[in-house]
Amino acid sequence: MVRIRHILSATIVVVLTLVGTASAAEPARGPDALRAWYKMVLELVRHTPTYSPPVASRSFAYLGVTAFEAMASGSSDLHSLAGQVNGLTATPLREPGAIYDEAVILDAAMASAVRSFFGNTGPTGQRALEAIETRLSERVSAGLPANVVKRSRTYGRSIAAHIFAWSETDGGATVENMGFPLQYELTNGPAHWVPTSTIGQQQTPLLPKWGENRTFAMPDGMACPLPAPPPYSEEEASEFYREALEVYETVADLSEEQRTIARFWSDDPMLSPTPPGHWISIAWQVLDKQEASLSDGVDLMARLGVSLADSFIRCWQSKYEFDLVRPVTYIRRLIDPDWEPVLITPPFPEYPSGHSTQSGAAAAVLTAFFGDDFAFDDATHEDDGLPARTYRSFEAAAEEAAISRLYGGIHFRAAIDRGLEQGRCIGAYATALRTRI
Amino acid sequence: MRLGLLFLAALGGALLQNPAAAEERTVVPKFVEETESAGLDSAYTGEWEYMVGGGAATFDCDSDGFPDLLVAGGTSPAKFYRNASEPGSALQFQEQESGLELEGATGAYPFDVDSDGITDLIVLRVGENIAMRGLGACRFERANERWGFDGGGAWSTALAATWEHGAEWPTIAVGNYIDRREQIFPWGSCTDNWLHRPAEGVEDKFASPLPLKPSFCALSMLFTDWSRSGTPSLRISNDREYYKGGQEQLWRIAPGEAPTLFTEADGWQRLLVWGMGIASYDLDFDGYPEYFLTSMADNKLQTLADIPEGRDPRPAYTDVAFAKGVTAHRPYTGGDEVKPSTAWHAAFEDVNNDGLADLFVAKGNVWEMPDFALKDPNNLLVQQTDSTFEEAGEIAGVASFHTARGAALTDFNLDGLIDLVVVNRGDKAQLWRNVSQDTGHWVQVKLQQPGANPEAIGAWVEVRRGATVIRREITVGGGHAGGHIGWHHFGLGSAARPALRVLWPDGSASDWQELEASNFYIVKRGEPAEIWAAD
Repeated sequence: MVRIRHILSATIVVVLTLVGTASAAEPARGPDALRAWYKMVLELVRHTPTYSPPVASRSFAYLGVTAFEAMASGSSDLHSLAGQVNGLTATPLREPGAIYDEAVILDAAMASAVRSFFGNTGPTGQRALEAIETRLSERVSAGLPANVVKRSRTYGRSIAAHIFAWSETDGGATVENMGFPLQYELTNGPAHWVPTSTIGQQQTPLLPKWGENRTFAMPDGMACPLPAPPPYSEEEASEFYREALEVYETVADLSEEQRTIARFWSDDPMLSPTPPGHWISIAWQVLDKQEASLSDGVDLMARLGVSLADSFIRCWQSKYEFDLVRPVTYIRRLIDPDWEPVLITPPFPEYPSGHSTQSGAAAAVLTAFFGDDFAFDDATHEDDGLPARTYRSFEAAAEEAAISRLYGGIHFRAAIDRGLEQGRCIGAYATALRTRI
Repeated sequence: MRLGLLFLAALGGALLQNPAAAEERTVVPKFVEETESAGLDSAYTGEWEYMVGGGAATFDCDSDGFPDLLVAGGTSPAKFYRNASEPGSALQFQEQESGLELEGATGAYPFDVDSDGITDLIVLRVGENIAMRGLGACRFERANERWGFDGGGAWSTALAATWEHGAEWPTIAVGNYIDRREQIFPWGSCTDNWLHRPAEGVEDKFASPLPLKPSFCALSMLFTDWSRSGTPSLRISNDREYYKGGQEQLWRIAPGEAPTLFTEADGWQRLLVWGMGIASYDLDFDGYPEYFLTSMADNKLQTLADIPEGRDPRPAYTDVAFAKGVTAHRPYTGGDEVKPSTAWHAAFEDVNNDGLADLFVAKGNVWEMPDFALKDPNNLLVQQTDSTFEEAGEIAGVASFHTARGAALTDFNLDGLIDLVVVNRGDKAQLWRNVSQDTGHWVQVKLQQPGANPEAIGAWVEVRRGATVIRREITVGGGHAGGHIGWHHFGLGSAARPALRVLWPDGSASDWQELEASNFYIVKRGEPAEIWAAD
């Protein structure tokens, strides 16, 4: 278990002397740049139209690995992920004996990576990227020799280019029509998913091939398998019907607290940083409160990003393997034709719950990083008018995120419980990565 | 595109939901582009601050009955064109100095602000909005100081106007967009919309503007009597890209009272879209307007969810865009069909005079957004006899691949057919003449009433053809950054002798009076409608 290392005094200039490499860094500049880039990324995820939750998770993984490798390449503390995560080869080496600045490297690597992964963002995002890139670049390089800045920036960009080239071969690089294929053949039978809205674009399901993408820390997309959901049945005595009735009755008797929970974890794409972004946001709130070191920051962003991306690959594989009908379809067909769920039903199959899977994985990583029973506040949605919520542990937050999908009327119980279990299994792979020397 | 259906005569009664169309057939509209030959040469230019806007205003400022045209130019000066067309002929416009040649204009809405019988305009800008007082003969002068109109300094992108009950001076709502000084984190920086009400105790002046809090980056506003209560509310379509905690809005604007939002307790349902334009029309002939909201990818068509007997409806709407075939969520031609569309101005007009309103939607990428169609043709969705709509943009000849923003649909050559002008970002505006053949009858009316609000903003015009009553609410606002004042067009199909009545803004109703189809009428309050003909 990796534990927090507190940041050194911001006024101390640390000179790291590595084998064949000399680096200079003022600690505060690096964490500040990393934090600023992630703040920007959380906005870009919300405001870039292709960024559905699976797509967001993928970028969080590559951005986290980019930042980590940029720092690991000159660190006596961090151990590269090359050879540990699938398909990642050794990153470019630094010039022996040359002086680098860690903050400039990190900033350049993140600037380049964010440009690559959000090259498709809209005009406002492009304008914001240009502005933040200029401001951060000036800030991290202030007072440094020009040759150090140039060398560091070039090196940072080479790390980003290496990671981006790796990303291009994972199967998830191209997203068309915001992830909705023009053609898709629905599976016959009442047990299977059918469109749940009258949105024209969503008459086919989101990213049906996403489960075939290359995984990161998991050996492949078949790791952490799930048992089949309860057998489909329309019999009132069946487990399936009982689960549907539970959704129906829960929504009918929803308390204000439950409604608040449903909305808090709704994390709709284009209206929020998405579910994986919500957990990235939580991680940053804790990192900030802990005044975490740059090493811890990049370590956590890499592990968390990887676990979230693996979660969506595995979860999506299961979703399209079982291709289960959504509660709104079943309930309207058999229980109440006028029933409305609290949340908008996402446009893809039901089992398992993606939020549950990725929350289980995120909680596993964060618990391993910060410890059990680590209480925290989550103010992710304060700007949207949703007050912060307090949790006694990451696991408690994950359980609330999972059950929120029942309160919202968009998932059955089995998808929630088993999604959490699947996530814990997936998170263990990211936790097992060796990031420290 | 199921073109075949466009040619079908009416189907059997069991399929018909539209009582107005039982005996009609759907004529395929035809347009020819006359941009160059008509003398139109105007582009909406500019970078980030001009990614929205680009409106067109149509109005008659030389009292010849022909709609004249103002095209917003963004960083280029707006251009005014006097309509020099002959009745029924090819379109002709003459660029003319008018005083409206303002830089930084995103759009403009025409109406008679000071009730002097001459059309004025409010020009929306990146920077100070400017009230332009009509002087006659298509000359205009700045009137901010004269009217006490505070033009602010925001990025203005929407406008709606009404006359509150008993008021001698209009109330204007102005929609403002992002705080353009916020470069790095502009999201969540929506600036306040303003409500300009009449000054108390002072004639012919606006009071200091009232901020409409919260504001969520409005791109279209419309005063509309959605419940037929007699008092219009202010509907605002907001761009979800930039607000946080926002949604679409409906403001209760009661005379003498502070504006209040309709809430979920009132029945208002939370809806978050990239709202860019509003079009309204009573499509189902029930007396209540439907609202089309433009957005990115899917667009919305809202109809009241419930109209209870003997009680006012609640502002709860059902989205019927999918059922009616107007989601218009991706291109129908051009090679970019795999990507979603981006919709801006929208307007309902009956382009084939069959008695059924059709829907035009201006389309265009925001600004090189690669995930959205770059070749995004405008939609011309023609209403069918079963009340669904069929795409006819390509066959009608209006499937432009320029980057459209604003538009205006009006009869420029007074031949009874609705023509079209579209403002393009970074490209020339385009003008099409409607040359459809074998269309139905039509009638066009212009309202006049003495005193304040001479154009009768807020009135409802009802035209009866057979058993069906077509209703149009007279509004200032909606669309995207531009509007029309003047003739109000009704397609009549085969009805040669329609009847007309007006529900004036104060609630009084005129008697029904019979009209001769295919004529223009001036309808003065308290007087019989008079046929008007161009000199």
